Formats: sequence, C-alpha cells, structure tokens
Amino acid sequence: MAGSLPSEEIELLVAGYVLGDLDAEEAEEFQRLLATDPAIAQAVAQMQDGLELSFAPSEVAPPAHLRDTILNANRASHASRVSAAPSLFSTRQFPIRLRQILELLAAGLIIALAINNYQLRQSQQASQSLVPSQNRLTYALRSTTPDLSAVATVAVDSDSLEGTLTAKNLPPLPPGKVYALWTVLKPGAPFTTDPQNAILTNVFQVDAQGNAAQALTVCDVHRSREWVAAVAVTVEDAAAPQKHQNKPILVAAL
Amino acid sequence: MQFESSNSPDSSSQQTDTELYRLLKAGQADVLGILYDRHVGLVYGTAIKILTDPQEAEDLTQDIFLMLAKRCSYDPERGSLRTFLAILTRSRSIDRLRSRTSSRESLRRWQTNQSPEGGVDSPSEYASQLEQSREVQAALAQLSSDQQQILRLAYYEGLSQSQIAEQLNLPLGTVKTRARRGLIKLRQTLTDYTR
Repeated sequence: MAGSLPSEEIELLVAGYVLGDLDAEEAEEFQRLLATDPAIAQAVAQMQDGLELSFAPSEVAPPAHLRDTILNANRASHASRVSAAPSLFSTRQFPIRLRQILELLAAGLIIALAINNYQLRQSQQASQSLVPSQNRLTYALRSTTPDLSAVATVAVDSDSLEGTLTAKNLPPLPPGKVYALWTVLKPGAPFTTDPQNAILTNVFQVDAQGNAAQALTVCDVHRSREWVAAVAVTVEDAAAPQKHQNKPILVAAL
Repeated sequence: MQFESSNSPDSSSQQTDTELYRLLKAGQADVLGILYDRHVGLVYGTAIKILTDPQEAEDLTQDIFLMLAKRCSYDPERGSLRTFLAILTRSRSIDRLRSRTSSRESLRRWQTNQSPEGGVDSPSEYASQLEQSREVQAALAQLSSDQQQILRLAYYEGLSQSQIAEQLNLPLGTVKTRARRGLIKLRQTLTDYTR
C-alpha cells in the first residue's frame, strides 16, 4: 500500500473484508482503517481481483434491455413502498408543530385500527381463502379463462415480508412484455394504490417451459391480511409495468 | 472485469459500494443503476455459467438486483458487496437449477461437467473449469491445498466458515486464518493482473 506498508494484521483484516467474514470487532477496526488510509481501498480492490481471477467465472454482459427492466421494476416497487407508507402531511402545508400533533393523532388512530384489525383477523381467519401456516400466507392463483391452464403460488412470511413466487404453464412472453404480480386491496385500505386499487408487487418472466420460481419481497400491506382483496397476475409492458393496463390472467380472490 | 471500490474509475459515481448501498437503503432508488453497472457482469456471468439458459440468467439477475434494492442480509460493514453478490448469485442459480421441472438431467450434467461439487478437487481440473489463465493456475499452485480448498468452499461454494470447519474437521480460527492468508498470497502473486 502506498505510503504505509500494511502490517500483517491489516492485510488479514482486508482479506477478511473481501471474503465477507469480519466479526463485529474486526469490522469496526476495518472501517476505521478504511476511513483513515486511502491505501486500504486499493488493497481491497487488489484482493477482490485476485479472488475473482481465481474463483469467479468470466464476466458476461447481459442483454441491453435488462438494465431498463430492472430499474423500472425497482422504481415501481419503490413507488409502491413509499406510497404504502406515506408521510401523512406535507411540511409545505402544515407548520412543523401542527404536523407533529396531527401525526401523533394519526399514529393513535393507526394503533386503534391495528387492534381492531387484529380482532377482525381473529374472527375472519377461518373464512380466508388463503392458508396461513404460522406466519406464512399462501395465495393460490388460478386462471381466469378456461383456455389457460396456468397456476401460480405466492407464499409470504408476514413477519419478514419475504416470500416466493412459483408459476407453471404460463406462456413465454414476447420481448418488451413482463408478467406483473399485483396485490389488490380492499376499498378504504390505508395504502396508496393505483386507480385499480392495486399495488405492483413484482414483475417476472417464465422460462421456455412456462415456469417461474423466484424470491419476493413484498410491501407492508402483507403484514395484515385485512386489506388484501386479491393477488393477481397481468401481462404488462416491461418498460412501465406500473401502468397496469391489462386484466388479470391469474387471480386468488380472498 | 468491473470493480467495486471507490478507487475504481466510474463515470457515474466515485462513491464506494458501501456509500451507494446505504443511499439505496435510504430510498434513493436510482442508485441501483450505478451498482448494476458495476456488478452486473459478475452477476449475469455467474448466472449464465451455471444456468446456461439466457432467459433464466436474466430472470435471476433481475431477482438479485431487486433483492439488493428491497431487502437482503448484506452487511456493508463486514464484507464487500461483490463477494456477497457472487455468493448469492451462485447459490440462487443452483437453487433454480434444482427447481426446474426438467432439471434433473441438467443438474446432473452441470454437476458432472462444471461444478467442483461433483468431486473435482484437483487444482488443475478446477482451474480448467473456470478457464483460468496459466498465471492464475500458477498462483493457485503456490497456495497450500488447504488454502485452496477453504477459499473454494468459502467463495465458490458459499459455505460459512463454521460449515467449512465442520466439513474439514478444523478449528474455526484455523479456517479463518488459512482463508485470509491464502487470499493475501493470491494478491501478492497476481500483482501484475490486479489493479
């Protein structure tokens, strides 16, 4: 390292960082070194190179359209997450103190609603057309037309908000199209939705056999089943799936 | 090969991966584009190498970056983002391979032909699988067999150090030290091929 030849301990810390195995104490020391010695970043880059030259496959450039697909999906997902947890009052419209008071009132209302929701959930649990298993909710999506034999399953952990999506027998789509997974909310749900009362939950493609299997991260609405009216799949433009222009081809109505 | 750290030339940003990751988590969705540009070659390259199907590799690449944006277990204090992405991509690729309805033959073929999990432990065989250069093979040959094996298990197969210690019947501290010393030696040997 330029100007400050690293001690063996420093090199071991750098190697641990590149391998991703620093413990908490080492991580603290490494961050301190990184902030004070510019040569550390160079050492990290060199060790990363050495590791990848030796153990990683060659880099491959993906198709050019993939970047837009991913960034558009992320923007749509980000917008739905932001709108699902909105700041209730703009600082432009309300003085700070009034805003804080109103937000406190809103927080109280949310707590009251949450208690009410919990009670409602207890009473309605038996009638839900989904299968709770501890904190796991499973939505079985079926075709909306008899000429499509496709099925899909969405399984969500309501605590971690992580889950999986699997689909079978969906026709592969032409370039520029994606399947969009929607969470459709009940009227009056305290989340911002699109005009069709839906939140874009994920976009996905199927393989040549019409199958898909991928991990999901869902928005907070899935912590409470009270507001979910349906989970559905549509075909949308890959460049702007959030426009929600088409009707569901698969749906699980609750 | 693209690289992650602050010292790498990047037309979009000079910020480190750690800084960008924190911005992403703070809600700056557009930051994902910079991280994508830096690392997509590694992610897609790993996915296509294992899955062999371009569409599946695209799908997985999308999953990996959206997961990075939304929720993942990466801790930027403790390790580099590139290593995290490489291990995650490889792990998810293998999961996908296993879940294919017609995957059994593919998995068998891949394990036989491409993966060291199929029992290929010889450094030369392993090196040829990764299409490594002679220089890299020579650098690896300077590591002890333990160091090679531990680095492979940690980085290529994504095993935790506890799992490696159990598999090799070695103390945890020994595994950690051998992995790190092996990497230090690789860096020293491959100086001409790194930044």
